Amino acid sequence: MGGEPGLQGPGFPPFWGRAISEGPMRHESAQTESPRSSDPAVYTVNAPEAVVDAWWASILAGNIYEPHPIHGPAIKVRLDGSRLRLCGELESPEDRKELIRQARKRVGHGIDHVDSSDLTIARRDEQSGILDQSLLSAFPNRAAAEYARAFVIKHSRVEPKYHDIVLQGEEERLRAVLPEHWIPKARKWLEEGQALLVLTVDETGAHRVRELLEEDTRSVWTVTAPPTLSEGRR
Amino acid sequence: MSEITPRRTRDDHATTIAAGPRPTSAREATKTRLRFRDILRTIGPGVISGGADNDPAGIATYSIVGASVGYAQNWLLFLSTPLLIAVQQMSAKVANVTKSDLASLLRTHFGRRVATPAVVLMVIANVITMGADLVAMSAAVELVTGVRFIYWIVPLVALMAGVTIFLDYRTVSKYLLWLVAVFATYIVAAIMARPDWGDVVRSTFVPKISMSPEYLLGAVALLGTTITPYLFFWQASGEVEERRGVQSISRSNLDISAGMVWSNLIAFFIIVATGAVLFSHHTEIKTAADAARALEPFAGRYATLLFSVGIIGAGLLAVPVLASSAAFGVAGLAGWRRGLGRNARNAPQFYVVIGLSFLVAMEMAISSVDPIKALFYSQVLDGMIAPLLIVLLLLLTSSRKVMGDFVNGLPTKVLGWVAAAVMMLADAALIYQVATKGLPA
Repeated sequence: MGGEPGLQGPGFPPFWGRAISEGPMRHESAQTESPRSSDPAVYTVNAPEAVVDAWWASILAGNIYEPHPIHGPAIKVRLDGSRLRLCGELESPEDRKELIRQARKRVGHGIDHVDSSDLTIARRDEQSGILDQSLLSAFPNRAAAEYARAFVIKHSRVEPKYHDIVLQGEEERLRAVLPEHWIPKARKWLEEGQALLVLTVDETGAHRVRELLEEDTRSVWTVTAPPTLSEGRR
Repeated sequence: MSEITPRRTRDDHATTIAAGPRPTSAREATKTRLRFRDILRTIGPGVISGGADNDPAGIATYSIVGASVGYAQNWLLFLSTPLLIAVQQMSAKVANVTKSDLASLLRTHFGRRVATPAVVLMVIANVITMGADLVAMSAAVELVTGVRFIYWIVPLVALMAGVTIFLDYRTVSKYLLWLVAVFATYIVAAIMARPDWGDVVRSTFVPKISMSPEYLLGAVALLGTTITPYLFFWQASGEVEERRGVQSISRSNLDISAGMVWSNLIAFFIIVATGAVLFSHHTEIKTAADAARALEPFAGRYATLLFSVGIIGAGLLAVPVLASSAAFGVAGLAGWRRGLGRNARNAPQFYVVIGLSFLVAMEMAISSVDPIKALFYSQVLDGMIAPLLIVLLLLLTSSRKVMGDFVNGLPTKVLGWVAAAVMMLADAALIYQVATKGLPA
């Protein structure tokens, strides 16, 4: 497994740089699961400038494999003489602009040129807002599920349309988001004493959420329900 | 400062979601209309898979089939093309819908008891194929340089392991496809060899079945090298790595069809060329130099050079795919972080599996006694494993629970079951014949 959820090791960017608003929740019970505003570590994920600065210091010291605190391993930085080369693929023009701004701040300390010609913006052929997709992850207990939820929301940069943690005896809550034929399987996991984390996201962001749930948390199982029409398209 | 000019932008939507009345299903909502420019820039996991399908083991298998039974199995290649496309499209679609790779899906939906043997068998077949491919590549370098093949194995492994582990292989592979394009010369070589086209056409469209062990061994190897288990894993992981969702299904299908048709077209002309040049003269393929002779009608004394470049290119493209597929399988089974877009520090276990695959394959290549036989039998093993995986894939993609509105249509189901049935029949007939008559020489 990838290690403890949120572990600050290689590949675990400690912060993502964008605050995630608490989106509308479709289920009453989810409101009770909503984060406390006084718990910034969970949902308020503004990356402190210091973390980004620390990453740049590490990179310029030669630790070029250190993943970017916001964009992870998608970004590579090379110091080529006095030229700072930025390579990789970013999600949006804003992300690109921000990274170049960060790089330009380093000009003058042995660097006189920033080359961003290999820094591209991911081509997205897929449009958001068409389909929703629910992901279901089983954890040994509620605490692990809570931690995973915070970790995934923080690191995926995907705003969930719904999120909930369901324990044994609460499977009725799953009916709101899961197709009927998933309920028996979910009930089986609940009877084994596992806590189920349910996240519904736009289908275009489901890849990233699944990846984090399966590879970077201590989930026992992660399954993805088939995409369904998003509410606005029904 | 350099000018800030992003090469691609988010607004560059090439796919248009069909406008019209309110959709009634997820499938309907994501129906896409591909424009001409989409077709031109469709290169993706499917085309790479098609290129990797014609690995040195594949080239050797097609050459041996052509040299030993002539065009007699052309019909099998013709039949296997739509089957291969259907199976690869199922692999891609299940990844597009579930956002998971194949090993992870097998584990989640069938449990470890089914997933583990499936992945282990795939890994074994991959490593054997890698070993055989390494021998073939080294033999190709020997043909050009005259330096014994054994000395080339370690440098080739170092080169390919280095590229796979330290570079972004999915990007590199798009350039390697050009090296494999050398095999297009088989088309010219086949035409210049002046085969009996009537015979070629007849054997392509009229099945001619023999129950001899040689024929069946060739059939299983031919099907095994065409509909190859590692390609299923590679295709699915490619879709996941490129983050292709259900809106990309049409693009993936086009990408796969282009890759597989091209791959089988080359295979067809390899068989025609070797059939015309070697089978008609009753020449057996024992070395890489024998196989290269099929290109002589086109390239004359440069046939060896051309063949060598093609084999090296095919190996450079395919061996990392084999190692990566093995790693995707093991990592998916274990739930490890994985992906060729990640670096080695970020997904250590995944890259350790890649490294180990290369090391075991290298050991096999160094101790291998007969490269051509190793190449051929690795494909026979693939032919044994593939139908089992196809059945699992069919069960997944035909389940509404897994696929929702994107469940297999009737044509895909039929093609999938035909693929599994044809391969199982060939396997059963081969096992029976070998048990009663022994293994052919």
